[in-house]
Amino acid sequence: MEFLRPADWTEALAAKAAHPSAVPIAGGTDVMVEINFGLRRPDALIDLNRIVELREWEVGADTVRLGAAVPYSRIIDELPTELPGLALAAHTVGSPQIRNRGGVGGNLGAASPAGDSHPPLLAAGAEVEVASVRGTRRIPVEEFYTGVKRNALAPDELIRCVHIKRADGPQQFSKVGTRNAMVIAVCAFGLALHPATRTVGTGLGSVAPTPVRAGAAERFLEQALDEAGLWDSGGVVPPAVAGKFADLVVAAANPIDDVRGTAGYRRHALAVLARRTLDWVWDEYRGKEWGRACA
Amino acid sequence: MTGTTFGAVPWGPPLGEPVPRLDGRAKVTGSARYAADHTPAGCAHAWPVPAPVAKGTVTAVHRAAAMAEPGALSVLAHDDAPRLGDADDRTLAVLQSPRIAHRGQVVALAVAETLPAARAMAAAVRIECAPVPPDLELTPEHPRLVTPEGAESAQGDFPAAFHGAQVRIDAVYSIPPLHNHPMEPHAATAQWLGGRLVVFDSSQGSNAVRDALAALFELEPDQVSVVSEHVGGGFGAKGTPRPHVVLAAMAAMAVNRPVKLALPRGLLPALTGYRASTLQRVRLGADTEGRVRAIAHEVDTYTSPLSPDWRERATQPTRSLYAAPHRLTRERVAPLDVPSPSWMRAPGECSGMFAVESAMDELAVACAMDPIELRARNEPDVDPHTGRPFSSRHLVECLRAGADRFGWADRDPAPAMRRQGRLLIGSGVAASTYPAEVIPSSARAHANPGGGFLVEINATDIGTGARTVLAQIAASTLGIGVDELEIDIGRTDLPRAPLAGGSCGTASWGWAVHKACGELSRRIDEHQGAVPAGGLTVTVDTTEDLATDDQYTRRSFGAQFAEVAVDVDTGEARVRRLLGVFAAGRILNPRTARSQLLGGMIMGLSMALTETSTLDLAFGDHPERDLASYHVASCADVREIDVHWLAEEDSRLNPMGSKGIGELGIVGTAAAVTNAIHHATGVRVRDLPAQPDALLEAMIAQGRI
Ligand SMILES: Cc1cc2nc3c(=O)[nH]c(=O)nc-3n(C[C@H](O)[C@H](O)[C@H](O)COP(=O)(O)OP(=O)(O)OC[C@H]3O[C@@H](n4cnc5c(N)ncnc54)[C@H](O)[C@@H]3O)c2cc1C
Repeated sequence: MEFLRPADWTEALAAKAAHPSAVPIAGGTDVMVEINFGLRRPDALIDLNRIVELREWEVGADTVRLGAAVPYSRIIDELPTELPGLALAAHTVGSPQIRNRGGVGGNLGAASPAGDSHPPLLAAGAEVEVASVRGTRRIPVEEFYTGVKRNALAPDELIRCVHIKRADGPQQFSKVGTRNAMVIAVCAFGLALHPATRTVGTGLGSVAPTPVRAGAAERFLEQALDEAGLWDSGGVVPPAVAGKFADLVVAAANPIDDVRGTAGYRRHALAVLARRTLDWVWDEYRGKEWGRACA
Repeated sequence: MTGTTFGAVPWGPPLGEPVPRLDGRAKVTGSARYAADHTPAGCAHAWPVPAPVAKGTVTAVHRAAAMAEPGALSVLAHDDAPRLGDADDRTLAVLQSPRIAHRGQVVALAVAETLPAARAMAAAVRIECAPVPPDLELTPEHPRLVTPEGAESAQGDFPAAFHGAQVRIDAVYSIPPLHNHPMEPHAATAQWLGGRLVVFDSSQGSNAVRDALAALFELEPDQVSVVSEHVGGGFGAKGTPRPHVVLAAMAAMAVNRPVKLALPRGLLPALTGYRASTLQRVRLGADTEGRVRAIAHEVDTYTSPLSPDWRERATQPTRSLYAAPHRLTRERVAPLDVPSPSWMRAPGECSGMFAVESAMDELAVACAMDPIELRARNEPDVDPHTGRPFSSRHLVECLRAGADRFGWADRDPAPAMRRQGRLLIGSGVAASTYPAEVIPSSARAHANPGGGFLVEINATDIGTGARTVLAQIAASTLGIGVDELEIDIGRTDLPRAPLAGGSCGTASWGWAVHKACGELSRRIDEHQGAVPAGGLTVTVDTTEDLATDDQYTRRSFGAQFAEVAVDVDTGEARVRRLLGVFAAGRILNPRTARSQLLGGMIMGLSMALTETSTLDLAFGDHPERDLASYHVASCADVREIDVHWLAEEDSRLNPMGSKGIGELGIVGTAAAVTNAIHHATGVRVRDLPAQPDALLEAMIAQGRI
């Protein structure tokens, strides 16, 4: 097995162009498991750990530019205000050791439907910046996942960073599992409120071949909040609205039975998470006066 | 064995003190060396090739591709492996026959210059086999279920008494296969030096490993040395010699070099034993006051053809637990084409007590009685199975002391009544018990002329703190501090001693250490306190001390209390509080004792909520083979957990007055948790573990939410 150690981004792209079948390795928390279990035996690895810029982040006016290899523990410590949904999700990833090594680039590279960063990225709104010697492109995150553990990367491309919308309102993430830590999600749900545009974002994990948004649920909720004047009044979301929202979230799911839970249980639990996170974000919205016009 | 044949260790410091582990520093700094940390010069590495089918015959072993790997040394298989003698354990007859007894059995061994090369070779070996349909499923109607000799007991007339009882409980409980998974997977480094075999093995008892290797390789025992100086846990999985050590020794012989073999974790369930699943029917017949008149406990389980005498003895605790004139216990076992089950922490007792202590809770509900009062009402005067008195039995005291600490007094027994937001809260209790046995042991104590002592015994410290506690026993007997002596354990070159298992290590070894140190003190006194130039050495054996007639049943007891919160929306159950109160004789080191009991309770919590494995009927082994899919409770699952013990005086045990505590903590925990789930939700969990989807479905079906 060849082990390539590019010193910077240009060298990394060149290495990937020269060895399209080489497997990039960032934190290695997915790659090493696969190698250890004999699931794959690549003829070359490209170690991304010498590339400093992949571990950097930058907060802009509207977006955060998150380097592909910023570990979860730093997202939790350094970006809880700008990326609250992602920080909450990062909290639930593996164990401290895994959170010190693993990051969003690797989660996107692996593209597991159960990856915990996907729901908050979908809910917040994000673009994945990928590059090759041929150039750079930005892929909306909902187009990035193309199938079970498949993504939109071309063989010569690497993920450079993710551009994530800065939170302009409350965000939540919730996950169901058989224990309290070190657990692959049975199902997960992310929800973001965008009071400025009076929109909401959702992200569903572990309930379909890929992470997905529940577009119909988002539009329904936006409309219901608008029509009842709730963005302005900060009034309580009627239970019927929350219930319909949850039903539409479940309608976007396409779960399977597996060792972690049945499809039926996943649908049920997803509805619970949708109602629960809606409660949480709305309480926070009402409490914090997130850009709300005084009624 | 009576209370008069031994003197007692003087009670007082350092015995009974929370002495920190003597090897703690070596372990946290990495200088403690485990079996795979030894790399003799020229050491080669081995990697096993597991059987791809559950039953059949190996028809060909294709080695060419493996031998073409750089660094390849050899591929051993049944057709060329050295012939072995008989060690009375068929799991150790590795590579001796083309027959496949279970999936995962080792059918070939790759040996190479490096570990990666050995792995690559193992992946390249192609095994051809003629499969035969395996028999994998245990049902109560299985035609090969038999009741072995001694697996049955009956007193009075159970059927009539049960039939005539005012209140009857008749329920079936099930436990899935469970895996030991010690942190350190099994490993051995083997080396032939002339005609001698030297092995570093990760084992709970190196004497048995030596005896097995001597028999297999047809050597005298003193031609074999086995070292198990530091062991990273075992929970029974290292209680008997396992195939890896034989494979390492065989490979070292074949390639004429030292060989190291560390089992990949994924092969532990197939090669090192597990808790076989049990189907358990418990029947209790009582009067309306909760006096149990009839008790029956029947267990169906399985073993493998390689371990025909094995069974999970789940009815054992029931025989001695509660008074009732009409009793019946029966264990049936079927040989299935599965990996060999074996010891897992509190084998038998842990499985059985889940069922019995659940049934007692069901009876308490049926009689509208407090579960603690119910147990107190059925407390026997003597062991109901043997008629012998207990050397000491403080179960009721544990229950009452636990009730005080837990705040049981205010408990409303009605189920599904306590709500906090979307959570249902409940509490439960169950009893713990485990035999307090002793096995003969030898030990040697030596006094140096210039001061200082050396105590030698082939005890094993598998992380429990045995090394430290033995030093405390020696120091107290000699009237010195632990820093004034050296303790040497974990090698067959030392005086022979039993394994670290069955919760009898400290009692057995401690007795021998006490005897050796006591006699050494007397010898020093004979020399007017002056140790002669050559030093003084005493070697003792406790076989005769233990040989006297046994009049007592010796058991430890305890009570465990759990508080759970069950989410009504998702069915997630979490243990908020866990309390254990135990009566286990004198506690020799509260620090290490607490961690044994605490560890057992956490493992029991895990058994209640997260640990589960499946016997896959398509392949014949367990798909949950790693710690990602086999869920042991994580730190975040263990909230408040509290361990206490009563000051129990029992002069009929051993010179220390101690009972074993390695296993007691896991017994009963699962029932305490599932009884609490019943109190919280009204749902009775009879099939472990209590997982969210099943619990939610049951809550909905019962109209509880
Ligand atoms: C014990 C354990 C627990 C875990 N728990 C969780 C959990 O709770 N939730 C969860 O979501 N995940 C979990 N994981 C999975 C893993 O930690 C995450 O997916 C993590 O985000 C991967 O990041 P990494 O940097 O380690 O990726 P790596 O293993 O280095 O890479 C993962 C994949 O991404 C590719 N890749 C990495 N960087 C790039 C790049 N810049 N460009 C292109 N491709 C790239 C790799 O080639 C590989 O295919 C767990 C893993 C372990 C071992």
